[in-house]
Amino acid sequence: MPYSELIKNYSRIRDYMREFFVYGFKSRDEYGQKSARSYDNERRRIESWLAGYMSFHQDASGKNVFISVDSRHVLRNPLYKSWKAASFTKNDISLHFLLLDILSPLHAKSIPEILRVMDNDYLTVFSNIDPINESTLRKKLKEYVALGLVVAEKQGKQLLYRLADSKLSLDGWQDALSFFAEENPLGVIGSFLLDKFSQVRDIFSFKHRYLIFTLDSGIMLDLLSAVHEHRKVEFELFRRRGNHSKRVIMPIKIFISTQGGRQYLAGFHVRTKKLQFYRLDSIQKVKTLDVQPDFDNYMACLRDEAAHIWGVATGNGQRSHIEMRLRIAAADRRIVYRLEREKRCGNIVRLDETGWLFTADVYDAQELLPWLRTFIGRVESLTCSNKIVEERFWSDYALMREMYGGASDAV
Amino acid sequence: MLFSEVYSAYFNAVAAIIEAAIGEDITDKRILEIIEDKAFSESMLSILPSLKNEEWLIMNRELRTPIKHSPQMPLTLLQKRWLKGLLADPRIALFDVDETGLEGVEPLFTPEDFVFFDRYLDGDNYVDENYILHFRTILAALKEQRRMHIKYTNRKGKSVHGQFIPIKLEYSAKDDKFRLLTVDGRLAAYINLARITECELLEVYPEKEFYLPKFREKYVVFKLIDRRNALDRVMLHFSDCRKETCRIGENVYRVTLWYDPQDETELLIRILSFGPMVQVTEPDSFIGLIKQRLQMQKDITG
Repeated sequence: MPYSELIKNYSRIRDYMREFFVYGFKSRDEYGQKSARSYDNERRRIESWLAGYMSFHQDASGKNVFISVDSRHVLRNPLYKSWKAASFTKNDISLHFLLLDILSPLHAKSIPEILRVMDNDYLTVFSNIDPINESTLRKKLKEYVALGLVVAEKQGKQLLYRLADSKLSLDGWQDALSFFAEENPLGVIGSFLLDKFSQVRDIFSFKHRYLIFTLDSGIMLDLLSAVHEHRKVEFELFRRRGNHSKRVIMPIKIFISTQGGRQYLAGFHVRTKKLQFYRLDSIQKVKTLDVQPDFDNYMACLRDEAAHIWGVATGNGQRSHIEMRLRIAAADRRIVYRLEREKRCGNIVRLDETGWLFTADVYDAQELLPWLRTFIGRVESLTCSNKIVEERFWSDYALMREMYGGASDAV
Repeated sequence: MLFSEVYSAYFNAVAAIIEAAIGEDITDKRILEIIEDKAFSESMLSILPSLKNEEWLIMNRELRTPIKHSPQMPLTLLQKRWLKGLLADPRIALFDVDETGLEGVEPLFTPEDFVFFDRYLDGDNYVDENYILHFRTILAALKEQRRMHIKYTNRKGKSVHGQFIPIKLEYSAKDDKFRLLTVDGRLAAYINLARITECELLEVYPEKEFYLPKFREKYVVFKLIDRRNALDRVMLHFSDCRKETCRIGENVYRVTLWYDPQDETELLIRILSFGPMVQVTEPDSFIGLIKQRLQMQKDITG
């Protein structure tokens, strides 16, 4: 197959884009499982789509390719371009524009009528062409009916086709689309809609935005479809360390980290009935299975458990109690505001003039460690019924002191 | 289906080429310009030949198209369902959208489908009437390029006011807040929308008066030690920033990260959250900030 900048399947390019965007330190030889030619083709495609965002650096291991973007300074997600690179056949593109022109919302036409108009009014301008046959046209119309572009109506024994009509006008939607195309978890669909405008005003910018999320939009869409239909799903789970496995899960919700760059599926393992979280970027090939009648029970169960989940971990099912006492000077009220807005399922109590107490009862207290470390400089005490958490907090603090000045008082 | 050619850059480019070719002669040069604008950097290598050799039955060798109308693709069901989903988002109240045509359409998602588990709890109140009014006034100012008079409460609780040129409305998913980037003379400033008490449109500002201050950038370099899956966590966590990563040893990496000086404290907190897996190596000023926190902690607990 000669090289093309278009692709049939999104999954392979998804892996490469993630590597280039998130990590970006691997050389060509380290993309071991795939052939060197495959690497060259995928890199060339991504370069073609993302010209201006690709960078390179050279080290002893070779030339490393990476995508470098400050999400705050790009107005539109450049990675959306990957969703606009689906390959097609010559019949796909020819029929697309011919049908859009021949069909109208008002007058429905049968397949023989469409073929007649096509042959007499359109294809006569071309020389030496392969005629479009009835079967190809029928398949395309069926596909467009499913997409919602064409409506099929039965008249007697015959199916008639017309262009879908809509009273919906996008004229008043441009500002909303500019915002939600970048902010909504399935915003790439908004980007498809914005492509309909000849000019788009750049009004919004975005901070704390993870452009990388869009690589999982297809997986998210499949999972949400299953959630809405109360269906369980089977998917393959790929881990960075190489191993992969299959899971059958009742999907319930999507958990999104606005600070960690990760999205998760929250669902129940069908056999064990245990709540599990799976990173969307490790899920491939979602297969929808049968309807589960007890969806509402699962939903209620998640609601109960979520009240004691700090992030996305349920641990061994036992709750831990954690208490952190903080010393916050009167001049540092912003730290109290931080506690209030970042406490999640925890509680904050003022103890005295400068003393504040954070408490929480959670399934996996280790999940709090990164957040607890952000208060280094103000922690008076930390206690947790899971002693590993206490020990790790203080041992990490000791390691940091060594890193930044040794065991002496040089800190 | 999300990954479909009907949404592709090629189809968009060809639609624009047809539009330009209807009723008038189109040149190779014009076609290439459209491809450059609508598609990818190598697309001209395939689109132009496919059109000119009649592989695609859209134009003949003389670049004449039999297509009679400007291509208008109806909205797909997926697009309609996505729009319907937006109607349940509280932030849709900020925009004056017409819902006609979405009756009976099943939403693609609902707000209940998503849990933003680490989002701050003090997000803006998007259904507050004054907030909506201010938001829409700002939108109008941005679109019409008009100066604004804005009165707001600053961080110290003091009411201040002034004339500003609005530049961009910035949204943070973590804070769940809008902030307005403004220029006042030669100074850029952010104003939290929730702090605005009054705002009004003033005159259109002449282009030549507009001066957007350059974004200043600082950088920090840190050594990343890949223990406890730190590589994966750190790389994803900072994937919203411009950064460059090099491997410098077995499970050790050097990361250079660029940031807005206004966000220094936030970056410090983000780096502290990774504990000893991340060691800042330069600049000295940033190392000093970490040492200061460690010293404060030492003063409390030893």
